[in-house]
Amino acid sequence: MQAGLSTKNAPSPSVVLPHYAAGAIFFLTASVLLFFTSGDLANSYIGPKVLSVTHILVLGWITMIIFGALYQLIPVVMEVKLFSEVLAHISLYTLMSGTVLLSYSFWNSYIGETIFMQTGGTLILVSVILFVINTLFSALKTKQRTYENAFIVSSVFWLLLTVSLGIFITLNLVFNFVPKSNIDLLPVHFHIGITGWFMMLVTGVASTLLPMFFIAHKLNRRLLKISFYLTNIGLIAISLNLYFGKNTVITITSALVLLSGIILFVKYNYDAYKKRLRKKLDIGMKLSVLAFVLLFLSVIFGIFSALKLDILSDFSTRIKSLYGVSMVLGFLTSIILGQMYKTLPFIVWLKMYQDKVGKFKTPMPAHLYGEKTANLHYYSFIIAFITIFIGILIKEKLLIEISAAFFIITAGLFTFNTFKILFHKEKTEPLK
Amino acid sequence: MLDTEKLSVTEKSILEKIKTVIDPEVEVNIVDLGLIYEVHHYEEEKKIHIVMTLSARGCPVGDTIIRHVETVVKAFLPDYETEVELTWEPQWTPEMITPEGKAFLNM
Repeated sequence: MQAGLSTKNAPSPSVVLPHYAAGAIFFLTASVLLFFTSGDLANSYIGPKVLSVTHILVLGWITMIIFGALYQLIPVVMEVKLFSEVLAHISLYTLMSGTVLLSYSFWNSYIGETIFMQTGGTLILVSVILFVINTLFSALKTKQRTYENAFIVSSVFWLLLTVSLGIFITLNLVFNFVPKSNIDLLPVHFHIGITGWFMMLVTGVASTLLPMFFIAHKLNRRLLKISFYLTNIGLIAISLNLYFGKNTVITITSALVLLSGIILFVKYNYDAYKKRLRKKLDIGMKLSVLAFVLLFLSVIFGIFSALKLDILSDFSTRIKSLYGVSMVLGFLTSIILGQMYKTLPFIVWLKMYQDKVGKFKTPMPAHLYGEKTANLHYYSFIIAFITIFIGILIKEKLLIEISAAFFIITAGLFTFNTFKILFHKEKTEPLK
Repeated sequence: MLDTEKLSVTEKSILEKIKTVIDPEVEVNIVDLGLIYEVHHYEEEKKIHIVMTLSARGCPVGDTIIRHVETVVKAFLPDYETEVELTWEPQWTPEMITPEGKAFLNM
């Protein structure tokens, strides 16, 4: 095989494609449930229904698609074969069933010593451990020691830590291992999950893919190197500080270190955007660029949340909710929506047409989905996000319901396009 | 990178055939993208040797593009052995795009 080529390393599509199907269904489900959670979300960010929707989003939607995409992308970024397709299959089904049980348990307020909560949590832990094994053993084989790969590997460690801590929190409710309430432990679980798992992973993957899709060259790679150390050091400091006692000076310092790391990551990708070859952005890149705008918003609210300013004490709950919403339903959802269009059509196209190019006239990957449908959900997503943002800010249930309706439209159209790609029928014409 | 003036008539015809290979991401043919570095036609050995690169290492469709080049050249000259060599030296840069490619991309 020629060095630097990844297609021959790609796993079987049966490993990757079900993740995209399941992810889309979970996103649609979460959007529908969001409608019935609007009253709770207007007042709190840790009510049972809110936690249920949050876990469907972070596990069933975002983590599901990330797992699937990573199984395809590991050969791209690391230039190795995936360690085990069998483990990937088991990880998929345990993540699906675990998410259903866990979110069902949250929805019905069954927290702690219940069979649904503990079985769901255990299944997710199994899924994550199998994913971690797969990723790390694949990473061990790579000769590509880049900072993009280092971000991906470190994100996997943070994922294992956040899931283990999640299980520990539920068990601690029953067995009292440590004299800490779940209110003390939840912020650690949340920050490690959001920043350690999602943010680190997105940094690694986006910094690989976006310059590739932008076809941007001569980027300053030192930015990524410094970003890697700053984000990891900042997160370790924040997590320890949250667990052992909230020292304000350490909170502010570690938040600034973390923020500097994120800014360098954004700067690296902004440089790629400025140097991009193809000026007109397709739907995948439009959504990815939008994600960075939403990341900025999320970081602002993250800082307000960490600083705990007296002047904002009346808005404390809303600031935390807005931080979570702009991160999960804003930045992460937008980048997942966008990157689906940059990965899934290529995977299906390769499967269907790689032996036919040059012999027949074949469609391009971008022809596998409805462009109008994608553009429609681009705008419905923006409306959904703006309305939920204002709805939480002014505690208006009706606005959150309207937002949920737009999220249902977004998820419905997205799911339609996902399945249109997945069930694409071969279309070839003779060469003229 | 590729000096078309130095190519023989057959090599120029081969290059024209390779122009039918489109990069699926930017939708520009790979010749105008500047991905083809060398085209050699050896009449006595009945061999075609093409040296090319990709816009990025780990390009997900790289293998397909290479196979596409082989297919169109083989279809054009079926009696010849076709060899497509992938190289990363020199690294491809946007400066290698032809004026036609730049016009298509509004650069």
